This record gives sequence, structure tokens and C-alpha cells, in this order.
Amino acid sequence: MPMGHTATAQAGSGGLTATEHRLANGLRVVLSEDHLTPVAAVCLWYDVGSRHEVEGRTGLAHLFEHLMFQGSGQVKGNGHFELVQGAGGSLNGTTSFERTNYFETMPTHQLELALWLEADRMGSLLAALDEESMENQRDVVKNERRQRYDNVPYGTAFEKLTALAYPEGHPYHHTPIGSMADLDAATLEDARTFFRTYYAPNNAVLSVVGDIDPEQTLAWVEKYFGSIPSHDGKQPPRDGTLPEIIGEQLREEVHEEVPARALMAAYRLPHDGTRACDAADLALTVLGGGESSRLHNRLVRRDRTAVAAGFGLLRLAGAPSLGWLDVKTSGGVEVPEIEAAVDEELARFAAEGPTPEEMERAQAQLEREWLDRLGTVAGRADELCRFAVLFGDPQLALTAVRRVLDVTAEEVQAVAKAQLRPDNRAVLVYEPVESAEPADAADTDETDADDTDAHEGAGK
Amino acid sequence: MQYHPQPAPGTARPWAFPAPDRGALPNGLTVLRCHRPGQQVVAVEIFLDAPLDAEPEGLDGVATIMSRALSEGTDKHTAEEFAAELERCGATLDAHADHPGVRVSLEVPASRLAKALGLVAEALRAPAFADSEIERLVSNRLDEIPHEQANPARRAAKQLSKELFPATSRMSRPRQGTEETVERIDSAAVRAFFDAHVRPSTATAVVVGDLTGIDLDALLADTLGDWSGEAAESRPVPPITADDTGRVVIVDRPGAVQTQLLIGRIGADRHDSVWPAQVLGTYCLGGTLTSRLDRVLREEKGYTYGVRAFAQVLRSSAPGSASGATGAAMLAISGSVDTESTEPALKDLWTVLRTLAAEGLTDEERETAVQNLVGVAPLKFETAASVAGTLADQVEQHLPDDYQAHLYARLAETGTVEATAAVVNAFPGDRLVTILVGDAARIEEPVRALGIGDVSVVTG
Repeated sequence: MPMGHTATAQAGSGGLTATEHRLANGLRVVLSEDHLTPVAAVCLWYDVGSRHEVEGRTGLAHLFEHLMFQGSGQVKGNGHFELVQGAGGSLNGTTSFERTNYFETMPTHQLELALWLEADRMGSLLAALDEESMENQRDVVKNERRQRYDNVPYGTAFEKLTALAYPEGHPYHHTPIGSMADLDAATLEDARTFFRTYYAPNNAVLSVVGDIDPEQTLAWVEKYFGSIPSHDGKQPPRDGTLPEIIGEQLREEVHEEVPARALMAAYRLPHDGTRACDAADLALTVLGGGESSRLHNRLVRRDRTAVAAGFGLLRLAGAPSLGWLDVKTSGGVEVPEIEAAVDEELARFAAEGPTPEEMERAQAQLEREWLDRLGTVAGRADELCRFAVLFGDPQLALTAVRRVLDVTAEEVQAVAKAQLRPDNRAVLVYEPVESAEPADAADTDETDADDTDAHEGAGK
Repeated sequence: MQYHPQPAPGTARPWAFPAPDRGALPNGLTVLRCHRPGQQVVAVEIFLDAPLDAEPEGLDGVATIMSRALSEGTDKHTAEEFAAELERCGATLDAHADHPGVRVSLEVPASRLAKALGLVAEALRAPAFADSEIERLVSNRLDEIPHEQANPARRAAKQLSKELFPATSRMSRPRQGTEETVERIDSAAVRAFFDAHVRPSTATAVVVGDLTGIDLDALLADTLGDWSGEAAESRPVPPITADDTGRVVIVDRPGAVQTQLLIGRIGADRHDSVWPAQVLGTYCLGGTLTSRLDRVLREEKGYTYGVRAFAQVLRSSAPGSASGATGAAMLAISGSVDTESTEPALKDLWTVLRTLAAEGLTDEERETAVQNLVGVAPLKFETAASVAGTLADQVEQHLPDDYQAHLYARLAETGTVEATAAVVNAFPGDRLVTILVGDAARIEEPVRALGIGDVSVVTG
């Protein structure tokens, strides 16, 4: 019985409820009450991410996210940060392939301020946006790119693998951080057009979670957001669907100054929001999540050929998800030895499926992760927005863990058999080179720098 | 859109940092417990009085290997079985060794606390420390070292410790050991360290979460109550000294696109009455994006994705203890800037410090900082893990259980003049050791001309 070993009676929803509302201008609003702590989370998801970017303007969605903190109609300079922090709140924004989110967590009695601030920039950002903040934030974002990707070992692996796994021209071929050349090319007019196209109430979902009075909260939302006009100029993103199987093994070998050889791979997996994606999540957990996984036991414990070995899942709704393999080799071990062991384990798993004990462990791990995510008002607010924006129904957030616990061993085996195969992956191999040339020109030229990104990508 | 004036805050709902119940088990184990309604993932923090300075000469890293080995098998379970049983509970277990001692951290859904705590108790009562597992952990640790060397932030931290502390002090050397010391560690050394320093009478367990329906006394008696060991006194804490003569050390990274900065010295810990003023002043200097450093380096100049100033306690002891108050905190400014901007960024950074010393903080800055530091408390301590972590920090720093609760009142009482004095004393421009991990060929000469101290270059 898949439900037999759940950690809580309601399996993760913990008795939580959410209500949905819609303003006349199209803004969708989700409210969820919880009075245990005197805090309230505000979360706003705009349905725009790096997948909406056009050629020559990669990184624009994320650069724009930075500009949202540079003042708006009634808020000067860094006022969004100053006012929230001065009220005892915290805030940030992040950009991924599929969306841009902005969030504040406030002491209850300061909730209205956060709503006023979000409405002010949704309605009047362009009144404050100028060349000076554009130039400044361009430099900040370029330094963000250097710090998080270019100046750390294996830092550009994600953008290289993404570029391999999604073909040229595909909306997910480049990652949210964008290329240096495109960041340099973006203009103030690009930013203005981007705002006019995507930052409209009918392209957003607002959630408010925590110690709130729903009636009062809704009245504030109506007061501050209600007069912002809707706008229908948005182009849908290019289609991200792809065949279930890549059909060949894509491969790139990187010679860089890294501390050890590495084998990384991205497997093409089902779209987020499907039962098969939950099954894939369980398969990857059994194979490479935590310290009792098959790959950890094989490569780190028994063969002792790896320092670390694991699988992760990048869930995507508008394109195939990616199953993310990352193995750093031990000592002088060569990559083919690791690769053979990985393939052997994947083939065995596809043939046999998970054991009942493995299913129980993987489900317990994923259940705890859900409890963690729903255990804070900010986490809950983000999940409600996610399900509303990507799947049209915020209520699905409260039952997500049930769906994971409902998946059977047969379904886990089926997805592994169909998709965790050598002809359905992009492989990236790192071979260390001896130090000291200026950053290996072969791998950092302009061509490569064109297709980049960020994991959950690019914070403020 | 229709503009509305900025809303005024409502009435704050009172919130206080939770007060734990303190008790002890018959075996001498101190227990702190704290019921947090709604927190379904329970956090358990166990502090073991096994500090790094207790490691035998030449065996740096033995505390780390011992910590990791605690979850690698017991008298009842092999290493693989132990990991599997823990994950079957949906639990995570981490153990790490630092200057004050070893911390073992468990997080698990409340309904599976009994089973998971049983496993932790087993690990403390009867760890296997099998030869083959220790060999594996040692070689795994040796494999990790080159990865840490390659990471600019880790490399900078390592160099700063080496510069600040005398070579005879454990603090001058890497917490997890060097290649030379780690390779000497075997199961006998691990066992000896465990026998000498790990026992219930000098340990404390902190349990935080929704404990509704859990008979914690019975549960503790059945699990950690079963752990036995001879009584022992707490170890004396040696004083910390540091050489903060102003100087610059460049760790050469030819071709690096950024320079990692770490600028530090040591200063007051939480037992010093200046701590609240130091917290306030340090926040005003570099606590957030709108603090003095980022206001210039990021938001005006775009040299960086962000620079932070912070104080991190290294180790503390109570004034009333046998060795007296001997603690200290690492005070530091950290961030990274693009290579070209290294000299101008450092120049601006010193200008910020000198201006602060000459003109002091403003009342407005102090007010915003207090509002933030006090106001964010309910959000910061929403989860069980964050409450447990702070309670355990208090224990390992010999602070009373109500320290954090009182800190908020003391912060609110701290004036602008006190906060200015504290931060100026904490970061005097001529008593700071500057570590730069970057391209020496491009940054050495310009940095030398700045006059912030002698400049030397190291490699590796």
C-alpha cells in the first residue's frame, strides 16, 4: 500500500487550505491562512522566464528582475529593499526558465506595505526606470555571472549541458543568466518593452499566506492592484515539446582547470505535472538521492571510484524535465570506468525495478522534502503560485505529496526503462588540464558563451 | 494606475524567542526541549564537547572523520544498513566538527522521531568505526581537499586563518585537516578520540518541533538514555590570539576573471557587552544590499554581486568558567569583484571604512537596522531547525538559554553612538588582514599602490 507509511495523517497538506480569487484586471489571487506565527508571506509569480527570451537577448528576464528593485512610481532608489527590511521583513526575486518570482515575508502588521510595494512596481515601474540603473545592474549581473558560473570549477557545466540537451533554437537551450555578449547588448528600450509585454496583472499570480485576515487582505489587494490595467500583448513562448527520447548520446568533453575528472549527464524525462514525472523523481531518488542510493553505494562505498555521486531532477513544465547526474571521480580513476558502472546500475534498475524497501525510502525522503517546503509561509506561498501559474490550479500544491506517495514501483520501473538510457542523454566529461593559461580559450570563446544559465537560476 | 499613499503599519503581534525546558537524563545528558506547534519536521541538535584543539598533534581532521563515521555503522547495523534505515524514516543526519566541538543534526517527520532518534542513540552508544569504513572516509576526505583548494571562497578562508593565528594554534590550520594529517588517520585514532571526548555527561541534546502526542521523556529514556560513559569535566578553553597587522596576501590564480576578497581580524564574542552594538554596526556597514558597502560597491559602481560584513563566533567560554572569558569572533568583509575593478573596489571599501570612522552612523541608519534585526526574528525562527540551531549555538558558546530572547531587547536599546564605536573598533582600517584570491599579474601592482599594508603573493 503506497499510503501505508505516510508520516502524517493528511500526508503533507497538514490541514492547510487555500482560496482563489480573480480581480477584474485578471490578477489571480490565492490566500491561505495559518495563525501559528505572526508572519505573512507575499509571493508574486510573473509568467515569464528565460524561455520567453529571443535570440540575442539571453539573460534579459533576469536582468529585468534586478531592475524591479531599482525604484518605481512612488518608491525612490533602493526603496523596495529599504522599506521591507526597515519593516522587519525579508525579500528577494529569482528568475528561472519558466517564471520570475518576487517575494516578501513580513511581520503580520506590515503585510499591507508589501502589497503596496508590489502593486507600485507592477503598475508604475517605468516611471522610475532609467539609463543609470540599467548600466549599474548590467554590471552587477555580469559580476553575478562571474561569481556563480565563470570563476568556480565546473561552474559552467549547467549551461553546457542544457545547451546540449535542448537543441539549438529550443526555448530552453540557453539558461537564465544569459551570455556576457547579450547582457552587453541589452538596451533600456528592451527593458521597457519587456515590462510592457509581460508585467501585467493578467500574467501574474499573487499568493498571500500566513497570519492574515482573508477579507481584509483581499480588500487591500483590490485597493492597490485593482486599478492596474490588464494587457494582452504577450506572445506565448516557443513550443518546448520534444520527442520522448533523444535517440542518440550527445557528448562534449571539456578540458579545463578543474580539481578532478567529472562525469555529468542530463537525461530527458517527462514534463512536470505528470504522474510519470513523479515516478521519475522516485527513480532518481532510488538511484542517486542520499547516502543509501544505488549509485552512492556502488561508486562511493563499494568501488570507491568517486568522491560523490548523485542524481537530481530539474522539473520543467514547458519542456522535458532533466535528470541530472553528477559524479566527481576519485584519485586517478578514468571516466569510462565510472560510465560503465553507471550504465550497469541503470540497466539493472530498468530490468528489476525498485525493491519495496527502496520505494519506502524514496517516498519517505520526498515526503520530508515536501513537509519542509510547506513548513514555512514563504515556501507555501511559492508552491501555491507555482501550481497556479504552471498547472492552472493552486490546490494541487496541497496534494502534491499524496501524488508522489501514490506512485507504484511498476511506474518507477517503467519510466526508468523508457528514459534512463544511454541514447537519451547528453554527457559532459571534464578532463583537468595543468594550471595557468588564461582560462582555456577553447572553451570560453564567444560561441560557447552564447548558451548559458543557472540552476534554479539567478537570484537578485 | 491609481496611486495610494504608503500604508502605515498595523499593531504588532507580540512574539518572543521560545524558551526551552532544560533537564537532564540519569546518564548525565543535558536535554533542552521546545514545542513548536505546526512544525512537523522535528529538529534534534546534539552538541558533543569534542573540540578541534583536543585533536592529537599531527592528526588534524580526526574529529571530522569521527563525526562522519558516526553514521557509518554500529554494533547492530552495517554502514549501508544504517544509511538505509535513516532514510526509511525520511530523516537527514549530518555531523560536523568545528572549533567548539562536534554537532550532530537530525531532521525527521515527528511521527518517525522515535525510530530515528533510536538510530542516533545507537550511533553514539556503539559506533562500529570499522577499519574499512574509516579507510574509505579518509580517502574520500583526501579527494575533497583539491576541490576546496580550487574554490576561491574556501581558499581565501583557509589563507586568512593561516595568516591571523599563530602556527601553534589549531585555529591556524584547516578545520578538516590537511593531506598530510588526514592520511595518518586510522580507525584506532578515531576510536581513541571518541573514547576520550564523547560521553553523555558533557553532551547536550536539543529537541524542537511539534511534539503533540509524543511522550518525549519515555522516548528519550529508550534512546539517548541508553548511552553511557564515565563522567568528565568540560575541557578548559585556551585563549585566542591573532596577528591583525594590516597586510595583503594574494593567492595567485592566473587568468581568474574575478578577485575573491576576504578582509578580516578577530573581535568580541557574545559574552562581551559590546556584542549587540557590534551586530548593529556591522549590519549598517555590510549586512545587506542597502548597507554602506553595497550602496557604493554594488548599487553605485557595479563592481560586485554583493559584499557582506559579518561576525562569526569561533569559540566562546563563560566569564565564570575556569579559564574565564576567552572567546572571540571572526570579523570579516567578504565578496568578489571583477579583476579589473579590484583596486578601485578596495579603494572605495577603505573610503567607506574611513568615512564611517570620521563621521559615524546616522540615527536613521541605526533605526532601520534595529527595525530589521528585531523585526525579522519571527520569520528567521519559523522552522524547528532554526530554533534548534540557535539553542545549540548558545550551549556550545556557554550562554544562558534566554540569551537570544534578551538580545532583541538589548539591540533595541543600543544607540547610534554605541553602534558606531563598536563597528569602528571592529573594522579599523589599519588592522585588517586582506586576502585576495585572484590574478596576481594583474592586481598586485595596483593593490600595492593603495597603501593598505605590505603585499605578498602565494601560490597553491
